[in-house]
Amino acid sequence: MKVIEAKIVVLGSQGVGKTSLVVRYIGKMFSKHVSPTIGASFFTCNISVENARVKLQVWDTAGQERFRSMAPMYYRNANAALLVFDITSMQSFTAIKGWVKELQSNVPEAMVLSVVGNKSDLESLRAVPYNEATQYAATIGAAYCETSALHDQGIEKVFKNTAISLLQLSSSNLVSSLRSYDSTEEKIPTASTTNDRATHTAKVELPAWSIDSIAHGEPQKNMCC
Amino acid sequence: MITSKMPSLRIDQNDLKCKNGCDYFGNPQWQGYCSKCHREQMQRQRKAEKASSFTSTLPRSDQRKSERGLKLSSHASFSKFEEKRLRQSETLKKTNLLKFNVFKKNITDDHEISTERRQPEFKIPTAVFEGMKADFRVRFPSFPPQIDRDARGFVHTFILDVIKWAAIMNVDELSERVQKQYQRFMKHMETSQHYASVDSDARELLIDFVEKHAMTYLHELPSIVFSPSGTDDERQDRAMSERIQQLSWVGEKHLECKLDRNNAECRRLLYKAISELLGMDAARWSGAKLARVRRCARHVLRLAAPAPASADDLLPALILAVLKANPPRLISNINYVTRFCNAQRLMTGEGGYYFTNLCCAVSFIQNMTAESLSMDKKEFDCYMAMPASIGGSAWAAALSLCGATREAEEQSALAAKLLEQTKEIQREAENMANNAATFEEQIAKKVQDVLAKTPLEIKPRRELPRLRREGVGSAPPPTTEPGPARTSEPPALLNEPSVVIDETEKLNILGFEVVEERSPSKSPQLDRLSDLKQSSSTELLTPSPMVLTPFDCRSLDEVLTPDEFPDNIPGLSDVNYDIDLSDFSADTSLAEDPPAPDRRRTFDPFAPQTSKDSYKLLESFDEFSIVDNARESDPYEVVHRPDPFGSVLDNDEGRASILDDSGSPTAACLLPSPIQPQNSAKPT
Repeated sequence: MKVIEAKIVVLGSQGVGKTSLVVRYIGKMFSKHVSPTIGASFFTCNISVENARVKLQVWDTAGQERFRSMAPMYYRNANAALLVFDITSMQSFTAIKGWVKELQSNVPEAMVLSVVGNKSDLESLRAVPYNEATQYAATIGAAYCETSALHDQGIEKVFKNTAISLLQLSSSNLVSSLRSYDSTEEKIPTASTTNDRATHTAKVELPAWSIDSIAHGEPQKNMCC
Repeated sequence: MITSKMPSLRIDQNDLKCKNGCDYFGNPQWQGYCSKCHREQMQRQRKAEKASSFTSTLPRSDQRKSERGLKLSSHASFSKFEEKRLRQSETLKKTNLLKFNVFKKNITDDHEISTERRQPEFKIPTAVFEGMKADFRVRFPSFPPQIDRDARGFVHTFILDVIKWAAIMNVDELSERVQKQYQRFMKHMETSQHYASVDSDARELLIDFVEKHAMTYLHELPSIVFSPSGTDDERQDRAMSERIQQLSWVGEKHLECKLDRNNAECRRLLYKAISELLGMDAARWSGAKLARVRRCARHVLRLAAPAPASADDLLPALILAVLKANPPRLISNINYVTRFCNAQRLMTGEGGYYFTNLCCAVSFIQNMTAESLSMDKKEFDCYMAMPASIGGSAWAAALSLCGATREAEEQSALAAKLLEQTKEIQREAENMANNAATFEEQIAKKVQDVLAKTPLEIKPRRELPRLRREGVGSAPPPTTEPGPARTSEPPALLNEPSVVIDETEKLNILGFEVVEERSPSKSPQLDRLSDLKQSSSTELLTPSPMVLTPFDCRSLDEVLTPDEFPDNIPGLSDVNYDIDLSDFSADTSLAEDPPAPDRRRTFDPFAPQTSKDSYKLLESFDEFSIVDNARESDPYEVVHRPDPFGSVLDNDEGRASILDDSGSPTAACLLPSPIQPQNSAKPT
């Protein structure tokens, strides 16, 4: 069985509901996959997709504007990003565009982008037309979902879609930092759901640290902050 | 060539450009080319070399040597520039790093030769490996020893490798080399059959284990991996620390985090987080440092919000914690971790996440402006202009007091405890006092009772011995004849038929004695009618021990004298004399029993006088008196009485039999025995 390890970063302006989105998802996954001691800001979970298993490390980010400049540290080495905006706030939607630009210019490797319009329960206050959002998502090659953290709608789908995309991405072999490997025989995937944090089994060497790949002009991920 | 112009010590920008004329900078290490051109050049060269097979090896090495010479000459003057670039490289990753890595590659090729010349003078202390061995046994008890040896071998080469290269490489290269070593070990684990049985989790642990021991040792070496030479980590540390001091006024309001500084629990958590941050410097390998950061972040998370805390809460609170902690060598520590921690750990996992947050916090602090605190620029400047010693928000005060308050709280708690304890002690003390008081009363009562019960009888005893002594020594005592003291002495016994007369006579005798011993004053008190045993008893009790001893001695010494004594005494001599003589000769042994009753009988007359109170008292007194009498009297009187009066007394006793029975046996048993022998001895 194929196992993929990926890092997802959740981006978006303050107040769009990043945390509640994550918390809602954790709450659902709680019994199964998430170690409860970890706060909502960071957690790992396993998602089984098709015949593979995707280990997701979800990194929440601080949404305050003042911490905007710190974002690169968070999304460095990320394989996927959830771009969350509030459908009642056009401003948050435009902020998403800013994020996308930033990601595109700063992250050298392919990333799975998902645009998430949160607070779909506030349909009456909608400020961002559904079509506009979908179109925009299409232009950046991202999936678009609308969710409601309040009513727990569509959240699981977001993560599932992301997992599927990651699987596809990993099979394309374009992304070096996305670690994928075949799990060894003795490690039965069902058993490994119990220990989420037992990561990086039998891992492939990280090209980011291989001198050769750097010499050949591949982007280097500097570990320094 | 660029290097030929170097002696001028000035480097024009044009000089640094690539020889090929492209826009990039060149580098002497690349023969003046930029990296790209150089690589192309090298590839061309390699191809050419391959084509020319191995015939040209010799000239090539020559060439290399000369190249190296050039490089070395240029290296020193170039180093500053290089360092600058090193710093820039963080921002201009792509281009610069490309160059650097080529540069580094080159250098490694170069120095492989030069290091061969260096003697391996360095030896790793064996303690490192012994510690490793022990640790291995603890952590992986089930693993075969081969792995242990393997791991140690790896650590050995790893340490040597790092030390060897640390002198030559710059930090970034070294960190890459370290990372490569980690990967090498991982690969080794994958390929080697020793590790076939080891599952992936254990492999993780193993690589951690290796890293831990290697880096723990390396960390202690100065300027190798921790704030290595050639970096300005230390300077940055100082700058950071000063910066944090300057920002000591920043509080939770500025950072918009919801903390309640008045909440003790909140303070406690922050305090914990701070101590973890401070502890980070003490941890020696990056894993331990990360663990510290993780624990710190968890405290901060709990501090930040009761609900599952989000990054929105975490980061500001963490910034606050860093500001308040001002951890030593913060930048050095962060750099150390980022450079030499196993990259995979750092990029993934909780530790990595929190460490990233810490980095963010640090960078936020470094770049803090009025804007980022969303406050007025003027105000911000004002605060910043304030000397660090003055600056300080209420938070700072609260925190700086944190330790003090904690201590104070502990102290007050302790004080309260002590107070309770003292109260209890006081209570108990009072109880004790009460008990003591009641006990005292009881004792006093008892004593009084006893005193009431134990009266006069003793007196005569003492008096008697003294009398004897004095009497023997000097006649004067008898002079005080008047002795009105009314002792319940057995004088009556002497003269049975005329009991009354006997008594009076005896009293007289006793009176002498009393007067002599105590004081004349008492004798008057002891009126015949009023002589209360109590009065006499009190007097008797106290001196008794004193008197007794001499009495005994005397009694022993003067066994014979007493008998004679009465003779000496003027008044009494007449009466006693006759009787005594006769009595003495008689069998003392037989006489004893009877005499006791005799006395009793004699008491009877007294009883009414003395014990006007109650019958019981009388009884008790009688007992005592009897005892006393027995003792005292034994020497003389008992002896006298027994035989002759025995029969008579018996008759008398018959009347007062009840009283006598109870008292007599005890008296007889206790006292007579010791004294009898004397008596018996005397007469014989």
